[in-house]
Amino acid sequence: MGGPVVDVRGLRKSFGRFRALDGLDLRVEAGHVHGFLGPNGAGKSTTIRVLLGLLRADGGTVRLLGGDPWRDVVALHRRLAYVPGDVSLWPGMTGGEAIDLLGALRGGLDERRRAEMVERFELDPTKRGRQYSTGNRQKVALVAALASDVELLVLDEPTSGLDPLMENVFQEVLAEARSRGTTVLLSSHALAEVETLADRISIVRDGRVVRSGTLADLRGQTRTTIHATLTRPLPVPAPAVLRDVHVDGARITAHVETPRIGEALAVLTVHGIRSLTVAPPSLESLFLRLYGDDGTPAR
Amino acid sequence: MSTAAASLTGTRPLLRVALRHEGRLLAPWVLVVTLLSASSVVVYPFVFPDLAARRALAGAVEANPALGLVFGPAFDLTTVDGFNAWRTLALGGFFVALGAVLSVTRTTRGQEDSGQAELLASGVMGRSARLLTGVAVALVGSLAAGVVAGVVTGLCGGAWEASLLLGATYTASGWMFAAVAAVTAQLGSDARTANALAVGTLGTLFLARGFCVSLDAPVWTVRANPLGWMLETRPASGDHWAPLLPAVAFTVVVVTVGFALQARRDVGQGAIAQRPGPARGRVRGPLLLALRLNRAPILTWAVAFHLLGLVFGYFTTSITDLVAGSTGVQQVLASGATTPEQLTGAVVRTLLSLVGIIAAVPGIQIVLRVRGEELEGRVEPLLAGALPRARYYASHVAVALTVVTGYLVGAGVVVGLMAARADLTVGLVDVVEQTLATVPAVWTVVAVAVAVVGARPVVSLAAWGALVASFLLTLLGPTLGLDDLVLGISPFWHVPDTTAPSPDRSGLGWLALVTAVLVAVGFVGFRRRDLAR
Repeated sequence: MGGPVVDVRGLRKSFGRFRALDGLDLRVEAGHVHGFLGPNGAGKSTTIRVLLGLLRADGGTVRLLGGDPWRDVVALHRRLAYVPGDVSLWPGMTGGEAIDLLGALRGGLDERRRAEMVERFELDPTKRGRQYSTGNRQKVALVAALASDVELLVLDEPTSGLDPLMENVFQEVLAEARSRGTTVLLSSHALAEVETLADRISIVRDGRVVRSGTLADLRGQTRTTIHATLTRPLPVPAPAVLRDVHVDGARITAHVETPRIGEALAVLTVHGIRSLTVAPPSLESLFLRLYGDDGTPAR
Repeated sequence: MSTAAASLTGTRPLLRVALRHEGRLLAPWVLVVTLLSASSVVVYPFVFPDLAARRALAGAVEANPALGLVFGPAFDLTTVDGFNAWRTLALGGFFVALGAVLSVTRTTRGQEDSGQAELLASGVMGRSARLLTGVAVALVGSLAAGVVAGVVTGLCGGAWEASLLLGATYTASGWMFAAVAAVTAQLGSDARTANALAVGTLGTLFLARGFCVSLDAPVWTVRANPLGWMLETRPASGDHWAPLLPAVAFTVVVVTVGFALQARRDVGQGAIAQRPGPARGRVRGPLLLALRLNRAPILTWAVAFHLLGLVFGYFTTSITDLVAGSTGVQQVLASGATTPEQLTGAVVRTLLSLVGIIAAVPGIQIVLRVRGEELEGRVEPLLAGALPRARYYASHVAVALTVVTGYLVGAGVVVGLMAARADLTVGLVDVVEQTLATVPAVWTVVAVAVAVVGARPVVSLAAWGALVASFLLTLLGPTLGLDDLVLGISPFWHVPDTTAPSPDRSGLGWLALVTAVLVAVGFVGFRRRDLAR
């Protein structure tokens, strides 16, 4: 199978007068872990629910695993597993029962992996739905999804309730899934998680994808931060290679276009460097910049 | 500050918010009882303008003791207020009590289920403040229902004392069951169980009252029943206010029990602790899931219908005596307008329609559960599996239709067996045949729920509307002399009288057609609409 696993073009979806998705494009290649980033209410979950055939697209084209997610529901869903962000379990049913039900509906679970996942996530499968905490409910959904052999994992903020230890387990398990060749669409607002796992990233805002690419691509678009203490003050105005220069006595802070770091260091060396930190562009700074850009509060 | 006062800290701000929020949810109940009461005062003079017409109505009511099961005895149908008292005393009290139960459970147990209670309890708030708020809102709501219904009825032309007393019985019924709900909210471990316990108590006492009154049981059986006290007020045929006092005392005592129980339990826990369950599941498909989700109500209702069959069966065996003892009926019989066989047939048909209408309740509950599950976000992960929507929906609809059929037929067989032993003019085969003829009408009512949940889930409450409309039209429509066109809105009107020499079964064909259309609308809608989160 050569084509992309997810291919969304110009997707539009409104709820009443509220426009949730406004021409969203998304492409996930086979075998990739694709990070789907955005603030709350940007349209991540809506996109995923369209991909699962739970919502009907108002416009645009949506292809999932080569099929139409609204029409070919059953055939497609045999090949994917989904973890909702807000897991709600049946109050009277145990976690184990819920895992088996969800697995059976997908066409069966890998028994060996089910046992392994229950163990690694330290889940007690004999508790009833209403007795689980948020994190434990999430674990039930994760075990059900990860214990089945599927081509595509759709994960909607899967770790928001997990403790750091369990988040580690999740990262390991996801890395194993990737090495088996599973494609993953990982929606999140936890930047660190996406930074370590994702091959490619799409950033969504107000119902559109505002940036998409590999981590390196996105880093290239942003600036490196330099903190330095100099022996001799910089001239005013500062050389053009340094942006947003902030001088506090001998200490300066400035931004540099990532490809021009060498040039900037050459300029600074002339003024005598006593200490220097060069912070690589984090996804976080990119994220903050994209959201702060035109001053509208993120919804 | 004393401990008692401390445990109520924070009630005032909580009450203000709760009144505003719950007020909107209680308003429909106030409206329903007001319409119920005022409409009889407005309509009665037109439909029954003279004494002769009113006497004829009294005879007809007496001839069908099945009506007494629901409405209680008709003390005096010759005056507007007497008619209103007969028609609305039992039903109005039932509706207000039901509204009070649901309100108390929602503001106490419901909040604990949804986690709101924890948020509130972490604030500056005494242990008992939430329960007090819940009870207070229900008390105020019941009071509003009684006052508004009484005053509006008076303004519409009812006698003031009788109308206000009638309103007071609504309030008293609401108060007593707000108290019952305050106790059941402490016993059940979630809102569903708490509601089931309280509504079960209400239904049992309601039925017991109708049963004891209709069968002329010893007077203590009515006096022992809190709902029986309401009958003793006799609006428009005596106007006794005294029986309302024990109702107030009952409320105070039972609410106190509720507070005592509440002080002894943990927030979010019930009297019965949860045990660990199986680590592996056997529910592997949507049909088993639908059964599993509704297991508790299906079993509870099965027991309820068994008892209902016994009660109605016993009732059927007494028809001959009841009819023989009524002078009104004897006059009707003497005039040759009808035969004893026809009368018995009519009573059996009314009883089975009543069983059918009650059987539709669990059916509608099961279909509405689909919507509840959807809103809880539990349908989404299922449909993200390889499960077509139609198959998911069909499982629940199939369970609903099968279960209501089972209940109705089960109750019908019990009634039939008892009727056969009592040597009536109707035998087991007649009753079962009549029961089977009633089944399609129940399906139609359930199909309304299937249609709304599938196609327009926002108005899923309309499913209950269909049930209430069927109920009122079937039981009250004929006595109000409504046009056949209006009566025909109720599916039960189309149920043929199978004991007739040549029953006209064409109605069943229409019912089947309407049911099929409604179910189709529901399935097409469910396939096409967005799934709520």
